[in-house]
Amino acid sequence: MLIVKLAFRNILRNRRRSLLTLLSMGGGFFLLCLTLSMSEGSYSNIINIFTQDHTGHVQVHKENYLERPSLYKTINHADEIITQLEQQPLVLGVAPRIYSPSLAYGKNKTFPAQVIGIDPDREAKTTRLENKISEGHYLTKEVINQITREVTNQVTREVTNQVTNLEGNQISTDGYFPAMIGFSLAKNLQLTIGDELVLISQGIDGSIANDIFEVVAIVGDVGSYERMNVYIHLSAMREFLSMQGDTSKVHELAIILSSQSEAREFAVNTQLALENKNLSVDPWQVVESSFYKSMQADKKGSYVSMGIIIFIVSIGVLNTILMGTLERTREFGVLKAIGTRPVVVFTLIMLESFVLAIISCLIGLALALPVCFWLAGVGISMPEPIDMGGIIFDTMLGEVSWFVVLLPSIVVISSTLIVSFIPAIRAAKISPLKALQAV
Amino acid sequence: MTTQVDIVGALNKATASQNTVIETTHLCREFGQGDTLVKALTDANIIIERGEFTAIIGPSGSGKSTLLQLIGGLDNPSSGDVFLDNKNINHMTGTELSDFRRDHIGFIFQAYNLIPVLSARENIEYIMLLQGVPTAERNKRVDKLMHAVGLEGLGDRRPAELSGGQQQRVAVARAMVSTPSIILADEPTANLDSKTGADLLDMMKELNEKQNMTFVFSTHDPKIMERAKRIIRLVDGCIVDDERRK
Repeated sequence: MLIVKLAFRNILRNRRRSLLTLLSMGGGFFLLCLTLSMSEGSYSNIINIFTQDHTGHVQVHKENYLERPSLYKTINHADEIITQLEQQPLVLGVAPRIYSPSLAYGKNKTFPAQVIGIDPDREAKTTRLENKISEGHYLTKEVINQITREVTNQVTREVTNQVTNLEGNQISTDGYFPAMIGFSLAKNLQLTIGDELVLISQGIDGSIANDIFEVVAIVGDVGSYERMNVYIHLSAMREFLSMQGDTSKVHELAIILSSQSEAREFAVNTQLALENKNLSVDPWQVVESSFYKSMQADKKGSYVSMGIIIFIVSIGVLNTILMGTLERTREFGVLKAIGTRPVVVFTLIMLESFVLAIISCLIGLALALPVCFWLAGVGISMPEPIDMGGIIFDTMLGEVSWFVVLLPSIVVISSTLIVSFIPAIRAAKISPLKALQAV
Repeated sequence: MTTQVDIVGALNKATASQNTVIETTHLCREFGQGDTLVKALTDANIIIERGEFTAIIGPSGSGKSTLLQLIGGLDNPSSGDVFLDNKNINHMTGTELSDFRRDHIGFIFQAYNLIPVLSARENIEYIMLLQGVPTAERNKRVDKLMHAVGLEGLGDRRPAELSGGQQQRVAVARAMVSTPSIILADEPTANLDSKTGADLLDMMKELNEKQNMTFVFSTHDPKIMERAKRIIRLVDGCIVDDERRK
């Protein structure tokens, strides 16, 4: 208690200097907190936009599918797994997908395209695909039924009903399957809504898969991920690729969680739960490893600027602590002469620095929190939106989290204690006689 | 064969040893080296016994303060030893020496050297807090000493709010509070006016006589010399005279 009392009184002794030190350290905390909030907020925003665009937070594949994708590496009995996953409280949506690289033909032109079989309802819950329709309509049941009616206008009503009931939203082989195509593919093939699209690929049984589809929607724009994709219904895809037997075979399950930060842990737990099924469960950091690595590299860059702030603040603190200990040299001599142990003198100086650091953190926090909350809620609108691989960022958002608050606190407190260490050691080691003779 | 005279001599020596608070043997302190070597203290052999009121006197630069600092363990001798309560303090570590000073030595400095952020009462209490003395005992001792040094009612004042004489009284109380073996006072009256200095000395003399507390002064103040029971005179670092008075 004696040491605590002395430490507080020493801080209050030179109030102006203590206040300046507190403002300097508090300012450092404020800048760190703000930089971190902006940085974490921007990254979270990018991650959310990126993962909700098409990747999801976690993906399930057959083992080695990501390294060497193949038509034959399918997840069997996917329905059971989807049901199992959807029971998890963290899971917001699970989107099953079948992939097939194909050749797309339309109006005398041919282009390669990635054909993706999707469950439209599940896909809409998992990604933003539905929101990216620039023309036409999403693959909803109504659209499919409407097209069914149009293409089968010569077939009797009875037959149509029979057909649409075949498999929910699948249409008969007499009609056209609806397809949504990417913006660039549509432009290259000069296709518009209502046009026919021919797709040619390899069936899973080795046969040549080919079929005619009707364009019902144009997806995305020239820079977006979907620009050369074709989206058709899962059941249409299975029929297109002649996938017989298990009617729930897929290549991929994209999972969206309520929080992207849980992705790694969720992937590990799910992997354990799905053991013995030869499946690989990977978080987005693995699925989109190049994006993740470039983001990490960018983060390291921002840590350099934070390091500079810490350095400047630390120099200020070092100066203050050094000045404080130098002008109190004689006092330390008295303390030691009357029987204060060196370790007590050391503790006293470290405690003074610690108290200063804690108060400055509180000051910094009081200044930073309102700004961080504003940044997290409103953000800063960018004069020119940034296009990152088709994902548009128009607002810089902040983030308020324990990390944003705790890291600057740890950094300010530890850097203060580190710079105080040398003056504290000097004061503890100084000969009482020399200290008493100091002016 | 042991004679009666030998036995009496040995008994006298043992009694003397029990009463000895400080003993210095061939104590030397040199500063600098080569051409700049200064011998501040040369071959000082002193024995100070319990209850003495000793003044070390001499002109400026004669080595008075150096001797006091060596006795108090604030400085290390170039050669020789200092025994305080029969313990050689020259071989102690920093922490051992701190504890030893805390428990066995009281210091009174010329410049008072109180802790400015603590009140008069807290300054007196400080050493007992280091010693871990219980609160009730601390309060009892502080009250008693504040009364003894005439500082009643001034306990809450910080050093800056006290006069020089009052500050030095606080310093005296601080030095005495842990009932040390010896109190070392380095020119305690140098910064005080003559009346305040005289009052303070009378107070210390009274404490010496009533409580048998050992005082060693470094001074050239005639008032201290008048009151001292023993005067050790130093010239150029050498003890030239050791006069005991009744």
